[in-house]
Parts: sequence; structure tokens; C-alpha cells
Amino acid sequence: MPPSPAATSWIRRSLVPSGLALAVLAILWIVLVARAPLDGMQGVIQKILYVHVPCAFSAYAGFIVTALCSALYLWSNDERLDRLAAASAEVGVVFCTLVILTGPIWAKGTWGHWWAWDPRLTVTLLLWFIYLAYLLLRSFTEGSARTARFAAVYGIAAVFAIPLNYFAIELFGGAAMHPDNLERGSLGTGMGWPFAVGALTGLAAYLHLLLLRADLEALRAEAVHPDPGWDR
Amino acid sequence: MSVLLAILWKDLVTEWRSRDRITAMLLFSLLVVMVFHFSLPGGATRETQASAPGLLWIAYVFAALLGLNRSFSLELENDALAGIALSPVDRGWIFLGKTAANWAVLGVAQAITGCVFALVFDLDLAAVAFRLALVVGLGSLGLCSIGTLFAAVAVRTRFREVMLPLLLLPLLIPVLLGAVRATAGLLENGTLAGGPVQLLLVTDAIYLIVSFLVFDYVLDE
Repeated sequence: MPPSPAATSWIRRSLVPSGLALAVLAILWIVLVARAPLDGMQGVIQKILYVHVPCAFSAYAGFIVTALCSALYLWSNDERLDRLAAASAEVGVVFCTLVILTGPIWAKGTWGHWWAWDPRLTVTLLLWFIYLAYLLLRSFTEGSARTARFAAVYGIAAVFAIPLNYFAIELFGGAAMHPDNLERGSLGTGMGWPFAVGALTGLAAYLHLLLLRADLEALRAEAVHPDPGWDR
Repeated sequence: MSVLLAILWKDLVTEWRSRDRITAMLLFSLLVVMVFHFSLPGGATRETQASAPGLLWIAYVFAALLGLNRSFSLELENDALAGIALSPVDRGWIFLGKTAANWAVLGVAQAITGCVFALVFDLDLAAVAFRLALVVGLGSLGLCSIGTLFAAVAVRTRFREVMLPLLLLPLLIPVLLGAVRATAGLLENGTLAGGPVQLLLVTDAIYLIVSFLVFDYVLDE
């Protein structure tokens, strides 16, 4: 079987470096998290922070990249950007799901309930619903150009939920169970490095999954109408 | 601007001649009021007044969903939408015309539903009527702008009646948050709270501008 053009694409070629970066970061992250100081009040359960918050950052990244690619798609009409937008939204939903799953585990241990209608929690759930609707819209629209256009429009309108999410705690007047944002200095001493490496690991995982997903989309598009492009 | 007025006039005349959209919206929102009465533990009375602002906006959103779906499924008949899309004008203004028409039709339904709410919940709306109209107007502006945009999207997907609420409801949360809080503040002590109104103004502005800019890509005929 002759090698497919996808074998030489830049996306395919960056899969190995991105996978290696992810592996190195993940090992470093595990070591740092294991050595991170225990929280005085919460004990070991506080360490879920190093999973929960990086996942949230990756979800944000996924949704922002979706919006950017959507806007660029509408401007340039290049379907490869649309594939990138779709891939990024899917990966973003995966990370958003992880945030919503790890949150209750932490909440049960510290707040005492699995669920509370805390502002940030509520808005994260909202974000999850919005991007599920985005994926649903993609699968319910017929015609690839129309799907791409409709999804791009939704992807742009939806991104305004992200500032709402990030500033949720300030917007709702501080009546929140989530701690303040980072710039207010809410991390304890010795937690900075594991947190920063955790955020990087989360982003590396996002990038690797995005590339895998984009590669798959490129292969799928090639199977439908074989003509070479910059991502194949 | 003339495009906006032309579309607005066309939609309002169509609506006036048939009056089917407004009838359906009104009947539906009145039915919702009745459902509220049977689903509230104490019924819809003076005792359950505290939940009235939220319920009022649920009724408004349901009515709006019906109307918005209809406003574009009507255009699909005889390929009217293709005709509109072919006209050599800025499509942003077409969007504003459709939004204005939806806003006006929804406004009529809202006014009557609001009066019925005041009756059954024994609310004193007369004292705050003007400020309440302002809040409802602002809320519906956000609702209609993003609603018109995605109604145009939803009518051309499979399961179109299902698609619109799924797309719209999550995006409407900021609008509803501001609208319900402002309404609740008005009904409680007759004052217009600044925060919720600011939130309404900001979301209205964002949704109007974004929809105005991207509507071009939604009409692809």
C-alpha cells in the first residue's frame, strides 16, 4: 500500500515531538505533585488542584482556539481551519468534562457536598452545555460548507462565556466557594511549581490530543475528496 | 437603514394579516402560566410571588422560542429566504430588520402575559410599569438578537425545532441572569438595581454586534 500524503503532513510529523513533550512534562509533574506540601486544612485531597485547574485551562484553550479558528475560517473560507476548530472544541469538551468530574470529588472532601450551585461551577456547566450544543450543531447540519459556517458562527458567539466563567466569582459579588483567581495570590507556598508544571502538562496534553484529532479529520477529509493541502 | 425598515414592515404586515404567530405565542405563554399554577406547591398566588420573576421569564423565553422558529420557517416557504439573501444589500441590516420584527411581536405577547401574571400573582405592576417595560425590553433585545441569528441557523438543520432551544438556552443565561435579577429587584422594592442592568446592557451590545457581523455567513443561499 503506498504511503498516504497524510504521512508527510506537518500535523503527522509534530505528533512525536508533542507526545515526547507531554511524556516528559507528565513525569516531572507527577514527581512535583508527589513532593508538593500538604495543605494544612484540606490534607491530601487538595492535590486534586493540580489536575482540576490545569484541565480548566486546557478547556479554555480549546474553546478559545475554536473561536479563533472559526473567525479565521469565516474570513479565509479555508476548510482546514474548520477542521481545526472542530477538533479543538471536541478536545475542549473532554477537558471540561474532566473539570466537572474532578470538581465534585474535591467538593465532597472539602465542602461536604458533591454539588453546590457555586457561580464558577454553574458557569463551567454552562460552558460544557454550550460546546455540547456546538458539537450537536455540527452533526445535525447537512453539507460540509454549511456545517462549517454554522459551527463557526456558534463558535464565535459561544466564546463570550469564557470571560463570564473566569470572572464569575467577582461578577457574583464574591459569594463563592471557589477561591479567588490566581492574580489575587490564592496559592500556598511551595504550590507554585507543581501548579505551573501541571498547567503546562495540561496544555501539552491538549496540544497532543488536538493534533491527533486534527490528523484524523485530515485523513477523513482526504478519504472524501483527495486533494493535497497544508495539513496533509 | 431602509433595509431594516423594509424587512420590519414586511414581517409586521405578514404577521398582522395572519396573526398566527402572536396567537400561538400568547396561547402558549398563557398555558405555561396555568402549568405554573399546578406545579407550584401553593399555586400561583400572592404567597408564591417570590418566584414570579423567574417564572415570568421562563414564560417569555418559551414564547420567544416559538416565535423565533416561526419567523424563519416562514421564510423557507417558496424559498423566500433565498430571495432575501440574493438582494444586493448588507445582510447585517436584514438581520436587524428581522430582530426588530421579532422584538416587536414578542413585546406584544410579553405585555399581555405580564398583565396575566400580575393578575394571578397579585403583583402591583402599575407602580413600576415603565421601569419594568425597560427591563423587559432590554432582556428581549438580547434574547431576540442572538435568537434571530440562531433561528436562521436552526431552521436549516435536521430536527430544527429541537436545535434552536439547544443552541439558544445556554447562550441566554447571561441575559436571563440580568433580566430576572432586575425584575426581581423591581417587584421587591420598586428600585432598578444597577448591576443586573449593566449586565443586560453589556450582553445586549455584544450579542447585537456579533450577530450583526456574522449574519452574512448564515444566509448562504
